[in-house]
Amino acid sequence: MALFSAFQTTFLLALLSLKTYQSEVLSEPLSLAPESLEVSIDSARQCLHLQWSVHNLAYHQELKMVFQIEISRIKTSNVIWVENYSTTVKRNQVLRWSWESKLPLECAKHSVRMRGAVDDAQVPELRFWSNWTSWEEVDVQSSLGHDPLFVFPKDKLVEEGSNVTICYVSRSHQNNISCYLEGVRMHGEQLDPNVCVFHLKNVPFIRETGTNIYCKADQGDVIKGIVLFVSKVFEEPKDFSCETRDLKTLNCTWAPGSDAGLLTQLSQSYTLFESLKATKCAPRTLCKHKSWCNWQVSPDSQEMYNFTLTAENYLRKRSVHLLFNLTHRVHPMAPFNVFVKNVSATNATMTWKVHSIGNYSTLLCQIELYGEGKVIQKQNVSVKVNGKHLMKKLEPSTEYAAQVRCANAHHFWKWSEWTRRNFTTAEAAPSEAPDVWRNVKSVQGHCVVTLFWKPLSKLQANGKILFYNVVLENLDRPSTLKLLSIPAPANGTELTLDRCSYQIHVTANNSVGTSPASVIAVSGDPGNKEVEEERVKGTEDGFCLSWKPQPGDVTGYVVEWCERPGDPLCDLQWKNLGPNTTSTVVSSDAFRPGVRYNFRIYGISTERIPYLLEKKTGYSQELVPSDNPQVLMSNLTSYSFTLSWKDYAAESQPGFVRGYSLYLKSKAARCLPGSEKAVLSDDSICCKYKIDNPKQKTFVVENLQPASFYEFFLTPYTSVGEGPQGAFTKVTTPDEYSHILIRIILPMIFSILLIMILCYLKSQWMKEKCYPDIPDPYKSSVLSLIKSKENPRLTIMNVKDCIPDAIEVINKQEGTRKSLTETEPTKPTYLYLLPTEKSHSGPGPCICFENFTYNQAASDSVSCGHVPVTPKAQPSQLGLLTSSENVPKALGKNYVNSLGEIPAGETNLNYVSQLASPMCGDKSSLPTNPPEPALCSEYKTQMAIPMGLASPPSITLLDEGEHDH
Amino acid sequence: MRAQLMRRTLLSLVLGLLFLSTPAMGSCLDNYQELLGQLQKQADFMQHTSMLLDPYISIQGLDKDGLKEHCQERPGVFPSKDVLQRLSRQEFLQILNTTLGHVLHRLRTLQKDIPKAQDLEKLNIAKLNIRGFKNNIHCMAQLLPGSLEKTEPTPTGPGASPSPTPISDAFQRRLEGCRFLHGYHRFMHSVGQVFREWGQSLSRSRRHSPRRGLRKGKHRTHLSSRNKRLMPRGWLPR
Repeated sequence: MALFSAFQTTFLLALLSLKTYQSEVLSEPLSLAPESLEVSIDSARQCLHLQWSVHNLAYHQELKMVFQIEISRIKTSNVIWVENYSTTVKRNQVLRWSWESKLPLECAKHSVRMRGAVDDAQVPELRFWSNWTSWEEVDVQSSLGHDPLFVFPKDKLVEEGSNVTICYVSRSHQNNISCYLEGVRMHGEQLDPNVCVFHLKNVPFIRETGTNIYCKADQGDVIKGIVLFVSKVFEEPKDFSCETRDLKTLNCTWAPGSDAGLLTQLSQSYTLFESLKATKCAPRTLCKHKSWCNWQVSPDSQEMYNFTLTAENYLRKRSVHLLFNLTHRVHPMAPFNVFVKNVSATNATMTWKVHSIGNYSTLLCQIELYGEGKVIQKQNVSVKVNGKHLMKKLEPSTEYAAQVRCANAHHFWKWSEWTRRNFTTAEAAPSEAPDVWRNVKSVQGHCVVTLFWKPLSKLQANGKILFYNVVLENLDRPSTLKLLSIPAPANGTELTLDRCSYQIHVTANNSVGTSPASVIAVSGDPGNKEVEEERVKGTEDGFCLSWKPQPGDVTGYVVEWCERPGDPLCDLQWKNLGPNTTSTVVSSDAFRPGVRYNFRIYGISTERIPYLLEKKTGYSQELVPSDNPQVLMSNLTSYSFTLSWKDYAAESQPGFVRGYSLYLKSKAARCLPGSEKAVLSDDSICCKYKIDNPKQKTFVVENLQPASFYEFFLTPYTSVGEGPQGAFTKVTTPDEYSHILIRIILPMIFSILLIMILCYLKSQWMKEKCYPDIPDPYKSSVLSLIKSKENPRLTIMNVKDCIPDAIEVINKQEGTRKSLTETEPTKPTYLYLLPTEKSHSGPGPCICFENFTYNQAASDSVSCGHVPVTPKAQPSQLGLLTSSENVPKALGKNYVNSLGEIPAGETNLNYVSQLASPMCGDKSSLPTNPPEPALCSEYKTQMAIPMGLASPPSITLLDEGEHDH
Repeated sequence: MRAQLMRRTLLSLVLGLLFLSTPAMGSCLDNYQELLGQLQKQADFMQHTSMLLDPYISIQGLDKDGLKEHCQERPGVFPSKDVLQRLSRQEFLQILNTTLGHVLHRLRTLQKDIPKAQDLEKLNIAKLNIRGFKNNIHCMAQLLPGSLEKTEPTPTGPGASPSPTPISDAFQRRLEGCRFLHGYHRFMHSVGQVFREWGQSLSRSRRHSPRRGLRKGKHRTHLSSRNKRLMPRGWLPR
């Protein structure tokens, strides 16, 4: 039985071997189908990973095969991807293939199947597809959990500009889901009732923390979302370069690209790979730093290197390449042991060593010598190991800096760093004589010489100047020498000499020696002869001065000036010039605009005696006058006036005064001859006189209009312009006829006065001729008649009883007069104002008179006077008289009263009275009764009293107690 | 202008907190009232959303309509005001100390999602504030009868442990962070109010029984029981 079993087994094995042999040898079609297909998912990368193997392969057999893979979505019939994957297959080898889904795998169910075919030229007969594997289903949704809403893909990382597909998976059919990208609603397509897909194209970079995309159900508080991390485009490294300093290590550097924008999610890595000799031990180096990496040079003298720098982040890989010869990339180390030796006043030696760089040891070294911050010498030296260089033509007592660097002599790549040393050369005697000038003054018979010298420049001094020696040689007694030693840093000294014929030698001394002597002579003649001053125009570059060449022997010229002209210290400057020079430009930073500088040009004789040649004066830049003159006006007439400004100091102005401008304002439309229209800064128009002569300090403004108003303003001007605008002075010309009037009126007044005086002197005569005195009734002869007749009816009217009035005889016929005389021959035919009964006790009687002035016929025979009255009744009379109302009333009454006493049949005349003025009447009453003339001195208006108005006497003027009716 | 004032206040507060952090290194402010005032001011200051929440919302892009509405405090994460008011002073300080410890831990987590250095600076200042505040809590506990160390750290009560379960989803993480910070500011507001009540009860008790603070010994033990307002140790004679 056991034997049978063993036989059976042997038979079966033989049969199987035979079958295998047949398939190999006979090339029977053999199905090489993929088996053991497994599908896994990578949600983060949205990848499906497939792995399978092919079992039906002989041992050690390798075949090229192609596998066709189909991927379907949602349902198997919906194939979304077909790909042929070719690879070499071994027996039982696990094959892998991955597929990245655009749609997040959670959004839909995916199925995968595949089949295989031999794609090998050795067995062309096997080129047919195997059977499909069964569909392998990938359903992530089922494992999501029980949340009502999901959004995918989670935390996806993409570059800006990418296209991204997003979906949500809802567990509820009732809810409406709305999705937003950064608050903006998105619209997608419904993949199935629970899944909606959104396609985002060209996504932008919004912020480093990513873009928020979220979905919300319209009911409830459900919100789910994702953060889409959008990075900036990853850039490739720039300026990739490698070099070595010692041929042992290569240092590669590069500039990383701009930041991707996502610090935490996107870390970058840099890898260095050498492809020409990629040894197993160190084919590539992962760089620790972001911008550089070191590479150990292989010891087997490899010269050529081909480096690849790969920059990589989660999303992208960038590479740059560099092919170079190592010897061409040698960057030597800085030289060492650098010394400056054997330093003299003019020479120094520099020594140094260089680092060995193997066989390529010849280096080119560059030496630079710096003086005062500038390169003054540059030299290249070939060096093996030790370098040496002699630096010549150095300046004494000068600080220098010497530096050295080296590079590969055969294949220059880069200089090493500099190695620097400072040194100072030794001192030497001053090389130049000091520049000496003098100022000579004569004080109390002595010659005071102030010596000035300029400090030697660094190049001339050759060290630190310690003192100056001044040797005075008396030219009159050449054997007499006097030595003065003046310590530095003095730049001058003052010497008082008994006489002025000296030659002065000045030398500068340092620790090593003495400079050549500078010689200047002082003569008895100060040389300040009268030289006319010329004007010179300054420019930005200075003053260009020129002078006439001197016919005699001149060893040189000196131009002297003060940099601070207004300062007592003056800051004297001078400039030495050669004997053939006749012009120079004097420039200084001290020159200021508006300051007048005076230059003196001296010639130096062969005896070293300076003598003045020319004087120049000028401004480096002229300015407008700083102030205007004080103008005085005189000789004002109707047609002109004179202006003068003699006190104006034109020399103190910040520019040469070229003249003056006189502005004249008037109401006249036209400008006067000699002037022209000008517009002032305030746009007012006036006339302008231009006075071109700066020395003219007076000006007559002519051709003016009489009795006109003018305004004037005077300002100087320089080549730059006029002085400041000032206030106008007002002036009004007098009237043309005023003087004529004066000529006429004054004599007239004089004549009138003269006439008046004459008239006064001849007043008595005039009075007599023109207005003789009114006869005084008291002095009249009538009085004597009254007294003699004792006629009680006749009385003399007291002035007090009289109303100041005029009594006029209207008519007095000759017949009537005659009848009077005829009927009462003893009584005069006079009309009297009757006194009252108490007239004796009252004021004095008023005298009635006949005015013979108006009755010429009677004037010779009768007279009327008045009796002085007592002043007692004056107030009442004055009061009445001053009242204009009472005048006619009182007059009427008095007249009536007076007339009432006269018998109607006796006379028919109307009485007319006149008060006699004391002036023209009784003069004797003036001093005794001064107020009275006011009553009696006026001639009152003559009033005519009609006869019909005569009424019984009623005197109301008098006090009632004094009247009896 | 307001921002400048804010910065100045912030700077002075940070300096103040640094100064106040010295108690942790050895000495505490022993003036109860002054310390209470400090705590109150600090709590008032830390309640401002401009300290943490507002910058966080801006940095994370949560300041969008439809999104910021979901940045609300999740109930139970921080103790409510009622809960805080019901606690004894010792318990209150314990809860406060523990909660702030969790806040510090959570801020360190949030720090990972903040890429910019200047934004991190704000977060660091906030952390500095909390540390200073915790130091003052420690000092206050020293002044109260019964040391804080005896019961520390025993977080009790609802929501005393606001440590969240790890969330791998960045969106949910930032939303939770926002909610957490919202709750933190609300919590500090409540803490400020509780401290204010402490100050008010102190002035009331001083007004009504000025000699009460002089009691000690047995009575002090009685006062330290739960739900009794403790008098500060600084009031007791030494």
